[in-house]
Amino acid sequence: MKRRNFIQSVALSSVGAPLLLKDFKFGAITKELFKVSRDAEDRVLILIRLNGGNDGLSTLVPLDMYDNLVIQRPDILIPDNQLITINPTNAMHPVMTGMANLFNDGKLSIIQNVGYPEQNRSHFRSMDIWSTGLMDPAGTTGWLGRHLDQNYPNFPDDYPNASYPDPFAISMGYEVSSTCQGLMANFSTTVVDPFDAFNLQESSQLNDGTYYGSHMEYLATMIAQANDYGAAVNAAANNGNTLSTMYDDNNPLAVQLRYVAQMISGGLQTKIYIVNINGFDTHDSQVADPGTPQLGDHANLLKSVSDAVAAFQDDLNLLSLEQRVAGMTFSEFGRQIAANASLGTDHGDAAPLFLFGTCISSQIIGPNPVISDQIVDQAGIPMQIDFRDVYASVLKDWFQADPADIQAMFEHTVNFMPVLDSCNLGINENKLAGEDVIIFPNPCGEQTTIRMNSKNETVTIQVRDMFNRLVVDVCSKSFNEGLHDIPVTLGDLPSGEYLVTVMKPSGNFTKRIVKVKHI
Amino acid sequence: MIQEEDIEAPVSLSLTPYSGTWTKVQAAHLLRRTLFGPTFAQIQQAVADGMNVTVAQLLTLPAVTEPLAFDPAETVAPFGTSWVNSVYPSSGQPAVNNAREFSLGAWMMERLNQPTVSIQEKMCLFWTNHFGATASFDARGVYNMHQLYRANCLGNFKQLVKDMTVDPNMLFFLNGVSNNQFAPNENYAREVLELFTVGKGPQIGPGDYSNYTEADVAAGAKIFTGWTVDGMLSDTLTSPQAVYFPILHDATVKTLSSHFGNAVVNNADNLEYSNYIDIIFQQPNMAKYICRKIYRWFVNYDLTPAVESTVIADMATTLEANNFSILPVMDELLKSDHFYDVSMLGTIIKNPLEHVFSILNSTHGMPTYDLETNYTMYLNIYAFGQTLGMDYLRPPSVGGWTSYYQAPSYSRLWANSSYIKLRFDLGTYLTVFTGVQVNGETLKVNALDFVDGLSIPNNAPQVIDDIVDVFCPKGLSALQKLTLKALLTNGLPDFEWTDQYNDYVANPGNVTFSNPVKQRVEFVLYRLFQMPEFQTI
Repeated sequence: MKRRNFIQSVALSSVGAPLLLKDFKFGAITKELFKVSRDAEDRVLILIRLNGGNDGLSTLVPLDMYDNLVIQRPDILIPDNQLITINPTNAMHPVMTGMANLFNDGKLSIIQNVGYPEQNRSHFRSMDIWSTGLMDPAGTTGWLGRHLDQNYPNFPDDYPNASYPDPFAISMGYEVSSTCQGLMANFSTTVVDPFDAFNLQESSQLNDGTYYGSHMEYLATMIAQANDYGAAVNAAANNGNTLSTMYDDNNPLAVQLRYVAQMISGGLQTKIYIVNINGFDTHDSQVADPGTPQLGDHANLLKSVSDAVAAFQDDLNLLSLEQRVAGMTFSEFGRQIAANASLGTDHGDAAPLFLFGTCISSQIIGPNPVISDQIVDQAGIPMQIDFRDVYASVLKDWFQADPADIQAMFEHTVNFMPVLDSCNLGINENKLAGEDVIIFPNPCGEQTTIRMNSKNETVTIQVRDMFNRLVVDVCSKSFNEGLHDIPVTLGDLPSGEYLVTVMKPSGNFTKRIVKVKHI
Repeated sequence: MIQEEDIEAPVSLSLTPYSGTWTKVQAAHLLRRTLFGPTFAQIQQAVADGMNVTVAQLLTLPAVTEPLAFDPAETVAPFGTSWVNSVYPSSGQPAVNNAREFSLGAWMMERLNQPTVSIQEKMCLFWTNHFGATASFDARGVYNMHQLYRANCLGNFKQLVKDMTVDPNMLFFLNGVSNNQFAPNENYAREVLELFTVGKGPQIGPGDYSNYTEADVAAGAKIFTGWTVDGMLSDTLTSPQAVYFPILHDATVKTLSSHFGNAVVNNADNLEYSNYIDIIFQQPNMAKYICRKIYRWFVNYDLTPAVESTVIADMATTLEANNFSILPVMDELLKSDHFYDVSMLGTIIKNPLEHVFSILNSTHGMPTYDLETNYTMYLNIYAFGQTLGMDYLRPPSVGGWTSYYQAPSYSRLWANSSYIKLRFDLGTYLTVFTGVQVNGETLKVNALDFVDGLSIPNNAPQVIDDIVDVFCPKGLSALQKLTLKALLTNGLPDFEWTDQYNDYVANPGNVTFSNPVKQRVEFVLYRLFQMPEFQTI
């Protein structure tokens, strides 16, 4: 991606400006902060692919833009009194009770307007871009594949072995995930039912240097791996357990996630699981009828996702695995702002992305999209946060990958932001539970808000820079019992990262925020 | 594992006629790529006939009979007759349509299970992959769309795109039916450029994909307005029909981008789509796109710069010189020096239908029972294809199956750890296990018929050699052949097999002698079907 083209595309977009996050400097302080409560080796990342291009504007409705949405999509817009309001300016689709509850519990994070410069509206090309994290059409390795290649460069030769007996990644279903494509082989093993036993005939194959020889070696490796990994998966499934009663057997995504919980609880060392749900290409019948826009294909899809994620998170809680597991959704693009005439929406640009788990950093990252009162042909939501920065930040926060290694994986200059770091920060033994403090928006501009619970106690709130210098003394006073929103003015502080510390008699809580220039 | 760039390059990149030796290696290569599992006899015949005669035969299209009503839920067409032009009842259409879709799916499998030496079925699947259209809810429309592929499978590509543009099933699939001047729906307009004709090039600017732009997509949507479909599930019309409504058509003048020479498309009502497709087909990159797809389907996935500048460019020249007729391109390709280059042997991992039918066809496994039993067996086979990743009536997306476009794995995607297990299970099922059982009848490999058709059936080493010739593009190692021969002879000296086989021939109809022969051959096939060498064509 040439910088010049990027600037050009910014100028061309009519509404909104991209978020340019300041490069983050890694020094001694961050090293100190990265004392992890759990070894990153134990951590698991779940990817949920919403295949087809999810309509972000029906998933997370910007309430401050509602009047203009009425103009843009009269037949498919859900009446505001039916939406689930999660904060003063955002509401979720009425079927998303499960994820709304997670949001209220501080276990769901929303990153708004995620996309990439010069959106490609082909399903295939755009899914390639999202899978590889590369703009170069010749790029074929997946973003997770490159990460795994950095750590296990000889894969698949000599794997599995005594140190790494389990698959590095599991793709639920019959298809390996392109996100896990490494230089030599795909790191993901497909699993349909983890209770299935494998006992395939193995054979050794020589590669004679032809296409055929390369296939032979691939097949022999695949057969051997299928047996070895199949046995490991099988053992974990039999050893594991699930406890939640919220899984619906008729929801294929829930069934997949229950299998995932079963494998994690059974001790499988797999770091990445990919689950998939098809059908988001809602060109028509996105809603069943203009009279009941809260029903229809899109509602059914969102319900499947929301119910499944809620059941899974409930299970992780019951299995005491919450600190080890985090999840993320992705889709190849959002859809156009204006509806089409088929009660649907056509391919668009940016859309919100969800992270879930107890280790999320903040609840809403990025401002609401701006919706015009004029219908502009083919207009989509302009991207403000580059999905590659989300990937990079996930690798840094969750897998504790070295920032220099992460940078080497991408074509652009990576801008890190806190996404999954709340279990990383050096928190003392009296730490508050993560849900007690929420900072929104984050990244932020000159203003942000701290939301916290108080038990009729004195609370001191300070903002410090990365050199631990006090830059804003927010308050030090007594708060009544209940929920409080405390506005914080960062004013003309330089853009970059800051630490917000909330000090209560019960313990201290520190959170990173990012101040940006343009929001 | 070696990296792609290390792979040995083909010696020949030429489309000039192949003039090397013509043996069973070349003959079997040609038939594996164009049929769904050739028999030993077909390979021998192709060796005897030579390349030109065999290719001519492959490029001849047989007459095909229509799918027949067999399911009790079919209440309109009488049992055993064609339903493709039958109306629906005035109520309970979904049940009747289910019955028709079952018949259609079974019939498609029956088509793949024919001993005919013709490329027709391979091309039908190719076009199904190319247009990626899923079955709509009127099976007659699905059949009619399939017939467009079948009838035009070697015909004029430009005409096929035109026909597909106003095909009722396609109009439903890509929202043509709801695309009107009041609110254009871009779905078909985008895919016709991106996937069906010129293809998408590198993105060279905002909304500019080298061969077309986002503005062209928007203009195309307007050009295609006005079409809808009448007669879906109708109790009066015998097939769904595309209907043009002038009131729904956007009659404004559309201007295309510089990639189409800034061509102006004037209102031409129901002929406008055709005029637009004529313009698309003048795009300089037009011919190469479909040639790449043909190449990937029939030759190899790897479009190296050298292949691009020689084979693909030459194929495109032939296609343009013949005004987009497919037959001359196939004729040239299947006789070319490049196609028979030794480096092109075994470069494709079989797709699920190639896998299933190479097991059945090559071993003469074909049900010969009553209609209802046959079709029910074929429905089971259809489900195998589905389970292995190929649902013939429902490609996974408009782009077709990922194995034909997803770099870097391509056809290897057919053989990941889940699928490879299923493939092995299926091989087991159709050899040493029960096979498909319907109404007390069985469909599996026909081991006796198969071994009887080999060159010297009572000679154990020769039986193994012949089997390898049928199933393995580049043979097997001496050790692997010994493993198979040990299964055939039950670990005894070769003459024991000779005696066993001679006894069976001398005692026709006596299962005491035939069963051991059948069982030994099934063991060999069972083991062979689990070898990596069997997975490629």
